[in-house]
Amino acid sequence: MTDLDYLKMSKWARLAHSFVGFFASIPSKCRDGFKKLGLWFVRLFRSIADNLVDLVDTFVKGDWKTRLSYLVMGFGSFARGQWGRGLLFFLFQTVFNLYMVNFGVAYLGKLNTLGTLETYREGRRTIYGDNSFFILLYGVLTLFFVLAFIYTWRANIRQNKVSQQILDSGKKLKSTKDDLKSLADEQFHKTLLALPTLGVLVFTVLPIIFMILVAFTNFDATHQPPSKLFTWVGWDNFRQLLSSDSASYGDTFKQVLFWTLLWAFFATFLNYFLGMMVAIMINKKGIKLKKMWRTILVMTIAIPQFVSLLYVSKMFAQDGLINTYLMKWGWIASPIPFWTDAGWARFTIILINLWIGIPYLMLIATGILMNIPADLYESARIDGANAFQMYRKITLPYMLFVTGPYLLTSFTGNINNFNVIFLLTGGKPLSLELSGNAGYTDLLITWLYKMTVNDTNYKLAAVMGILVFVVTAVINLLVYNLIPSVKNEEDFQ
Amino acid sequence: MSNNKQIPEVDIVVDEKAGVIREIKPEQKLRSKSGHEKRVNVGIYTILTLMAIIWLAPFVFLVFQSFRSYLTENGGMVNYLLPKTWSLDNYIWLFTDEKSLFLRWYLNTLIIALFNAVLQTVIVLSVAYALSRLRFKGRKLIMNAVLVLGLFPGFLTMITLYFLLKQLGLTQNGAIPGLILIYCASSGMGYYISKGFFDTIPKSLDESARIDGATRFQVFMKIIMPLAKPIVIYTILMAFMAPWGDFVFASYVAFGTTTNYNVAVGLYQWVNVADYQGFFTRFCAGGVLVAVPITALFLALQKYYVEGVTGGAVKG
Amino acid sequence: MKKLVALLLAAMLLMSCAAFASAEGGFSGEVKIWVAENTVEFTQQAVEDFKAANPQYAGMTVKVEPVGEGDAASKMITDVEGGADIFGFAQDQLARLVAAGALLEVEEMNAIQVSLENDAGAVGAVTMGETMYAYPMTSDNGYFLYYDKEIVKDPSTLEAVLADCEAAGKSFYMEINSGWYQTAFFFGAGCTLTYDSDDSGALVKCNTDYASENGVKALKAMINVAKSPAFVNGSSVSNATNAAAVVSGTWDAGAAQELFGENYAACKLPTVDGFQLGGFGGFKMLGVKPQTDDAKIEACDALASYLTSGDVQLARFNAVGWGPSNLTAQQNEAVQANVALAALADQLQYCMPQGQYPGEYWSLATGLGDDILADKYDELDDAALLEVLNTFQTTAISYVN
Repeated sequence: MTDLDYLKMSKWARLAHSFVGFFASIPSKCRDGFKKLGLWFVRLFRSIADNLVDLVDTFVKGDWKTRLSYLVMGFGSFARGQWGRGLLFFLFQTVFNLYMVNFGVAYLGKLNTLGTLETYREGRRTIYGDNSFFILLYGVLTLFFVLAFIYTWRANIRQNKVSQQILDSGKKLKSTKDDLKSLADEQFHKTLLALPTLGVLVFTVLPIIFMILVAFTNFDATHQPPSKLFTWVGWDNFRQLLSSDSASYGDTFKQVLFWTLLWAFFATFLNYFLGMMVAIMINKKGIKLKKMWRTILVMTIAIPQFVSLLYVSKMFAQDGLINTYLMKWGWIASPIPFWTDAGWARFTIILINLWIGIPYLMLIATGILMNIPADLYESARIDGANAFQMYRKITLPYMLFVTGPYLLTSFTGNINNFNVIFLLTGGKPLSLELSGNAGYTDLLITWLYKMTVNDTNYKLAAVMGILVFVVTAVINLLVYNLIPSVKNEEDFQ
Repeated sequence: MSNNKQIPEVDIVVDEKAGVIREIKPEQKLRSKSGHEKRVNVGIYTILTLMAIIWLAPFVFLVFQSFRSYLTENGGMVNYLLPKTWSLDNYIWLFTDEKSLFLRWYLNTLIIALFNAVLQTVIVLSVAYALSRLRFKGRKLIMNAVLVLGLFPGFLTMITLYFLLKQLGLTQNGAIPGLILIYCASSGMGYYISKGFFDTIPKSLDESARIDGATRFQVFMKIIMPLAKPIVIYTILMAFMAPWGDFVFASYVAFGTTTNYNVAVGLYQWVNVADYQGFFTRFCAGGVLVAVPITALFLALQKYYVEGVTGGAVKG
Repeated sequence: MKKLVALLLAAMLLMSCAAFASAEGGFSGEVKIWVAENTVEFTQQAVEDFKAANPQYAGMTVKVEPVGEGDAASKMITDVEGGADIFGFAQDQLARLVAAGALLEVEEMNAIQVSLENDAGAVGAVTMGETMYAYPMTSDNGYFLYYDKEIVKDPSTLEAVLADCEAAGKSFYMEINSGWYQTAFFFGAGCTLTYDSDDSGALVKCNTDYASENGVKALKAMINVAKSPAFVNGSSVSNATNAAAVVSGTWDAGAAQELFGENYAACKLPTVDGFQLGGFGGFKMLGVKPQTDDAKIEACDALASYLTSGDVQLARFNAVGWGPSNLTAQQNEAVQANVALAALADQLQYCMPQGQYPGEYWSLATGLGDDILADKYDELDDAALLEVLNTFQTTAISYVN
């Protein structure tokens, strides 16, 4: 196809074209990906080799201070008067050694079995055996630590080499005071990022890696440490969640995934368009009390959802306020099955979500609408365009262009929108056609919650978490490839 | 149609203001513009009024319920709106009954929210500033890693976080510092919106200050921070509001020690655990007491919130 | 100054002696107890009485926390170490607690005492295989009918109850999408569903005949009830907004009394389609978690045994109205005279003691109930209904492996 053909196509045809193009390009992208991965490995090995050569080289050329630093980290820095750096290196090595001797080695050794020593009773006293949970957790932590140690050790050697070179060329080394000063200047990013990074490593990265590993174990209610052991089982859990034989959750998973995507679609786009409408209405010239309308709407953002949504959920119950009054006024003969019928429940959730979602969009759209140059509208009006035409030709394209990235994060956010579903229906109604305690309004995330909290079925919860990751990652990749404007962070600067 | 003659005059005046003079065709004249405009406005007012009613109704109802006495009327759920007699019994119970831990829960949450507001703001702004204004090795790597980590659902790691906190002694009686730690530890990942804001501040400001000999730290504190007031307030507001609604992880961490519940966990159990019969109106009263100050705060700082979300939505 | 130091030293010496003495025969650490919210105060008092009667435990600190019964079991399974030492739970949680290793077997002498003093159903309920895992606390975890006698004139048949409710514009509440209330129909129609368990808490066999003529009869009755305009799915009296009759248990007695006032009445469940509704007779129990310290085990054993003894059960009945499982306490006049308990006792003749069920059963039953509520089976004929029950039965059996 030539560029000319492409330009002739309508907008939708173009989108369809890039959609098809995306899938058509998957094989070649995969090939590229593998090629890149291969190259990456080559580069990795090369850099390891380079590092090893450099290590030997540094040792051979180094003076005794450098050589001793191979054993005692920070020695060279100390000896050359950089006591601040030396102290840090030395402390790190001491902590690492103590940790490994007292703790780490034992856990690493058990990582392959996750423990063999069973808990038993001696008389009525319980003697706890191995704790698989902590073996896995501390095993991973120890691996983190070892990697950090190798990196630091390497930095320590490089430090010596560089210091030696600087001294050889007759310059002076940075003193500890200089080091400290640079933390507020050239190295300021280290000061800013040190704590946040540590926090994310320990409380986000470590738990995620741990849970990914749990997906390959049989950690559930009947293998619950400290009383029971759990161990590696390979891909069994994935099979149980995805295959469709009778003891598995495959069919239910498909159903839940379908609803999750449907929900995310409606929750994102309905809110988007209606929120925009409301913003346009409020901002229209001649409408008074703009601030009041806005204030009323944004109250749903301010009030904690566990209060407002729980209350709304009761309002829609079979014997709740809505049904009671509708019946009292004679509008309906029998109660509307808001929460008991799957279709109604889904509809009602989407409807109530408007109540939560419109205000957000209204606020965002208000900000953006004000940025649209007024003369655009003026000239359109002069050309005789009516309100709808102006909306379609000016407002919508502008909004879509500017809020593209927001739509994407909002879609992913809705896939993980726990509160609305959990507080309104808790995933109900269930059905004989579904298994694994999942209901027709369950999202992947609420199902994951039930597995974790109600059933303590951590192995399946872990698989579910990985699948949620895969789903959102695929959607993100798809959108990045379809809508180029989302891609580049610098574009928006 | 009697005032048809006047319309062209009005239209011409408007057009002159816009700097354009146009001939008005007879067909356009027929669509009496101000009449049309008026009808549209009436329509909009109707829709907005309806929406306002729908939006406010649940809150108003909630307030009504909170005034229905659990002692003399019915503390459970009823199918009528207005209490038969208005009473403050629910509120009195919350504050004075010796079995009520409401004040304790409220205080717990307030402490968490205040600490969270301060610490999280420092962390988020540090990260955002570093990633927006400073260029260093590994910057892209950090941003991509955060993007990937963000795709994992938060509940996945709940059980791990619980045991990590337990190892540190920060569950049960240590639940409050524990929650603050967890809320803050990963908050650096939420840097997007603040970074978007910093991105809009012209780089030339930093550069001229650097030429004058200011360190990067001084640039951050003296030049950027004074300009960043809206985003600071936005971040504080968000960090302060979030802990009030956490009824899932907070329940995990408190693990059955009622004095360490936050207000969400405490209230949530009143409607969800079968032991609490007739606590619904007290739940409503508690909910009102949580919602009112937060809503007031939010409405007072609305302007900054709008700047935050708008900036965030645009800059991704 | 010297005097003060000397005094302090002497005091410390005394205190350490006291600590030593109490460590000798008893236990002076902390014991945590989780019970339902409305019995917290009562339990605190009972613990004080226990300490007064057993001076060797006087130094023990006991913390009583309100943790709901379902929640307590989940928490104990999540983290046995962090959970309570002694905790109350309803019978449906026993199998999962044992399977997760969150319960310490009842000490032998105590077990003998428990089986002598409590009713046979209660003893069966705390036993898995041959091992007793918990102390029965109440024998009242069943359900029956609360109603407003001004509106419901004839509570003997469900058809009449529904008709009365409909005529008055009121509702009949029953939680038919719960595996617990649902058995009223199935067991009443003559079906069974039980699981055999071994000592380790594993379920080894499922005995059921839901997919039968009787099962279809029960299912049809449920479908018909759900069709009635006066029917509302629910069981909590205080959350029922328009009730004239509610199927619930003794814990709702207070709320029902408040709701119906003068017209408060309770009786056995009605008949439907000519058969008497049955159901579960369930039990509440206290469990002790596994411990690593012998002195603490002894203390917990003694305390749990005391908290479930006949006298305390009777006192608990007097304080919060929970029906005792202790045989002597059951004979007490006040217990016999209680309206709710009388109705329950009446109903229990048609019930079977609730055994052990896998966790999945409860969500399976909710699935069936939700399908009924969503009107999915309204148009099905007998053969199709049998097919539904067949699916139910196969799935219920598949939980055993």
